[in-house]
Amino acid sequence: MDAAIQKSSFLGLSKNAWMYLLLAVGAVLTVTDFILAFFYAPVVLGGGVGGTAVINGVAVSNQLLFSQKIFYFHVPVAISSFLIFFFTAYYGIRFLMTKDKKYDTKAKIATEVTLLFVLLTLITGDLWTRFEWGAWWVWEPRLTTYFIMTLLVIAYFVLRNSIEDEERRATYAAVFGIIAFLDAPISFAITRLIPSSVHPVVLRSGGGLTGVQLAAFLIGLFGMLMIAWVVFQFREREEFVSERLEAVKAALEG
Amino acid sequence: MDPVLQDIYRTVLGSAPYVLAAYVLLWAGLMGYIALGIRRVSRLEKQMSVLEDSLARRGA
Repeated sequence: MDAAIQKSSFLGLSKNAWMYLLLAVGAVLTVTDFILAFFYAPVVLGGGVGGTAVINGVAVSNQLLFSQKIFYFHVPVAISSFLIFFFTAYYGIRFLMTKDKKYDTKAKIATEVTLLFVLLTLITGDLWTRFEWGAWWVWEPRLTTYFIMTLLVIAYFVLRNSIEDEERRATYAAVFGIIAFLDAPISFAITRLIPSSVHPVVLRSGGGLTGVQLAAFLIGLFGMLMIAWVVFQFREREEFVSERLEAVKAALEG
Repeated sequence: MDPVLQDIYRTVLGSAPYVLAAYVLLWAGLMGYIALGIRRVSRLEKQMSVLEDSLARRGA
């Protein structure tokens, strides 16, 4: 395998060891997020009901939205998808600056990981939408811009597969990846730019998250980012080992 | 059950099993995908070292 990849180490740990360590920490953090979200974080209040009842010594006159628990998985996955998509643009720029093929490979892998997280975001978001808003899909600003981002990510692979020449494919994909990424900050900020009556603004000053809710959310976010990094790492290794394998096979056959 | 309480708990009791199941399934799916990917990489690395050994033997 690529010697640079195999031998690289940080703080005395090989890249492999870091990958397993971060995967374990990411898994523990996301499970902790799950436990905090389902067993400790308070249930948010929904629409009012025609009266008041006392639950655990507290007067409650609204529905309790358990479906909001999806938030603790959905939002970290969505933020991860935005951040990973940034690397598609970053490696695209690096490729255009250097014409080094490894940046094209990294950009492609970043987009693959983005697609995985985009699909997870859409599934979790759709479940939340169905339970809380009573509809599978609503054409409101956040959902629409995120749907456009999903189409752009899919189009990135369609573009790659439609060009045979390696250099041209890498250049076009890099340019497309940079332009496509522009939708990510728009989608992220759209709930602030065009306040929607249905999609909540999660990260805001004095935002409605209580201590346990915020802790669960942040723990889940860090865990999910670690998992995203691990997925990127192993896909990168797979890609580079496959390329090296082909080269060695060719050398043996020659 | 008190009708007010029933209304308050309507969304909690109705959606809880689905929300839990969805959360667990997606998390398990993600972990499964990573486990399969890591296994695929280790298999490739094993193939790689076998091929590199035979390339080195040829060169010797």
